[in-house]
Amino acid sequence: MKLVEALEALNESPRPESPVLEIHLACGFTPLHFLTFLNAHLRREFPEHKIAVEAGLFGDLPGNLERLERAQGSAVVAIIEWQDLDPRLGIRQLGGWAPRQLGDITQNVRGQAARLSDSLESIARRNNVTLALPTLPLPPVAFTPGWLLSPFESELRELVAGLASRLGRSPGVRLVSSQRLDRGSPCSSRFDVKSELSTGFPYSLSHADNLAALIAHIIRNPIAKKGLITDLDDTFWMGVLGEVNVEGIFWDLDHRAQKHGLYQQMLASLSAAGILLAIASKNDPGLVEEAFRRANPILPRDRIFPLEVNWGPKSASVSRILQTWNISADSVVFIDDSFLDLAEVKNAHPDMECLRFPLDDDKAAYQLLEDLRDMFGKSSLSAEDEIRLDSIRASHTFIEATRTHEYTPECFLREAEGKLTVSFLKHPPDPRALELINKTNQFNLNGKRHTELSWKQYLNEANVFLLVASYEDKFGPLGKIAVVAGRSENYKLSLDHWVMSCRAFSRRIEHACLLHLFQKFDAKEAAFDFLVTPRNGPLRDFFADIVGSVPQTSFSMTRQQLLDNCPPIFLRFQEPSDE
Amino acid sequence: MNEPQANDIPAKLTRCFSAVFPELSVQQIASARLETVERWDSVAGVTLATAIEEEFGIELDSPALEQLVSFRSILDYLTGLNAARGLPPIETIEHA
Repeated sequence: MKLVEALEALNESPRPESPVLEIHLACGFTPLHFLTFLNAHLRREFPEHKIAVEAGLFGDLPGNLERLERAQGSAVVAIIEWQDLDPRLGIRQLGGWAPRQLGDITQNVRGQAARLSDSLESIARRNNVTLALPTLPLPPVAFTPGWLLSPFESELRELVAGLASRLGRSPGVRLVSSQRLDRGSPCSSRFDVKSELSTGFPYSLSHADNLAALIAHIIRNPIAKKGLITDLDDTFWMGVLGEVNVEGIFWDLDHRAQKHGLYQQMLASLSAAGILLAIASKNDPGLVEEAFRRANPILPRDRIFPLEVNWGPKSASVSRILQTWNISADSVVFIDDSFLDLAEVKNAHPDMECLRFPLDDDKAAYQLLEDLRDMFGKSSLSAEDEIRLDSIRASHTFIEATRTHEYTPECFLREAEGKLTVSFLKHPPDPRALELINKTNQFNLNGKRHTELSWKQYLNEANVFLLVASYEDKFGPLGKIAVVAGRSENYKLSLDHWVMSCRAFSRRIEHACLLHLFQKFDAKEAAFDFLVTPRNGPLRDFFADIVGSVPQTSFSMTRQQLLDNCPPIFLRFQEPSDE
Repeated sequence: MNEPQANDIPAKLTRCFSAVFPELSVQQIASARLETVERWDSVAGVTLATAIEEEFGIELDSPALEQLVSFRSILDYLTGLNAARGLPPIETIEHA
C-alpha cells in the first residue's frame, strides 16, 4: 500500500453505527506514517469497525507502557526498537560508540529489556498485546567490520531472543514473526536515515507498510480452517495405487517423492493440532486399506476420519465427509492433483478452498505447506484440539447407536452416562468460549460475533455471566461444547449469546443448560436476544418445542414453559466448587 | 526512480493534496497555500512531502522543502524537474 492510498483509506467514513475498535500504540519513535498505515490496514481487516488508534508520547516507550498498565480489555500494539533498549543504539543521540562502552550498552539493554518485559507482562494480563521486537538494523557500533558477527551483536541478539521467548509464553502477548516480516520488508531497505534525523520517524514507507499490515493481521487473528480433505494418488503419495499397487507408491527422497512425504508430515502435524483430516479418493477401498497397513505412511490411518474411497464423484464424497464432521464448506480445504476433480468439488461446494497439489513443482509444493500453515495456524492449542478427532468419532458412534431400532432416545440417553460440567469463570477469559461464539452457526442465538477485544470488554461488564459447558459420556469426551452469556436481574435472565457445537446435539444439553441457569439465578423468565440467521434452524426448532412457535425476533420464555415442555434429562451435572 | 509522466503531474499532485487535506475541493487545492489551509501544520507538511516523494519517485532536499509552500509552487518545482530531465512541458491544469 502506498502512503497516498493509506491516507485515502482513512478518509473513507465508516457507517455511523459501526462499533469502535480502540488500539493503543506504544513506541519510542514518532509514529507519523506508521500510524497512517496501521490505521489503514486495520480498516481493511475490520471493515465493520471504526478504528481509533491512540499513540503515546514520542521518545518515551517505558512511560507509554507504564501508562497502559492501567488499561483493561484493550488492544495494545508495542514496538521495541534498538534505541528503546539503549539510546546509543539509535542515531538521534550521541552517547558514544567507543569499544570501552560496548559492555555498558549491553548491560543497559539487559536492564531495559527486563523492565519492558515486566511492563508488557503486566499489560498482557488484562489486554491483548501485539509486539514487534527490533525490526531495524543495528547501527555500526561495534569495532568489527560489518561482515563479521561481533560478540557484542551476538549478545544483544541473545538478549532480544530471551525477551521474545519470555513474552511469547505470556498468553496475552502475540509476537510479530521476524521471518514473515523479512519476506515483505528486506532488512536493508527498512531504515530511513533522512526521515529519522529530520522527523524522528525511522522507517522507510515500505517497511512501515509491511509492519503495519502484519500487526493489523495479528490483531484480527483470523479464524483458522477446521478440516482438510485430501486426495491420495499423486497427492498424499506419488503413484496411482490402482496401477502400481502398494509396492509402487512412494513419499521419499530416493524415489524423488519427498514433497509427498513433507505433505504427509504437515498433515500429521495438523492432525496433532486438532485439525480434522479426511480422504476423498477414487480408488479400491480394500487396496487403500492395504496400502495404509503395509506401506505405513507418515500420517497413520487412525488419524484420518472418515475415509471416502469409492469410484463416485469426489463432490459426493466431500459432501458425506462434511456431513460426518458437521461443519460448513467454508471451514474446509480440499487438496487434489486433478484440475477436473478440483473444479467438480468447487462447483458443488463454492465456499470451499480448493487447492491443487503441484505434482511437478517442488517449489510450489513447499509454498503449499506454507499456505496450509497460515490457513490452519492458531496462536495456541487447547484441550479441545487434542480430543477433536476422538470427539467426532464418538459423536458418529453416538448417532449410529441412536439409529438402531432396539433403543428409544430415552433408553439410549439413560445408558449413555452423559456428564455435563459447567463453569461460570469469566477471568481469565476461556479462549474456547470465544472460539465457539465465532465458529458456531447452527445452534447460535443470533449469529453475533466478537473480536477478542470486544469479547473482553463484554465480559468485563459487572453483571454479565458466562456459562461454559463441557460434556462427556461413555463414547468419549466432547470437551467444551456450549457457551451461554447474558445478565441476570430481578429474577429475569437476559441472554445475549447462546451457542452449542453441533457435535453435542441430541443429548438434551440445551435443555439442561437452560434449566441450570433458571435454577442458579432463581429466575422466572428468560429474554433471548434472538435473530433468525440462515443457518440457526436447530435452535429455532428447540425454541418452537418449548414455546409452541418459531420465534422471529427477540422473545421471552418462562421457567414454567421450559419445565412443562422439557423432555427427561439423563445427565449428571457438575459445577466445580472452586469458583 | 520513476520518471513522472508530464501529463500526470497535476493529477498526481492533486491526489496527494486530496489525501492529506480531504476537506479541500479540487478548486481549493489549486489555490492551496501554507497560510490559507488551516490543517497545513508541520505534520501535514511532512506527510504531504513524503506522499509527493513516493508518488513522483523523487527525494526532496531541505532547500526545496522550504520553497514548497503552495500547490502552485510545488507544481512549478515538479515541472522544473521534468524540464531538467528533458521531458515535454505539462499541459495547463484546468480546475474550472
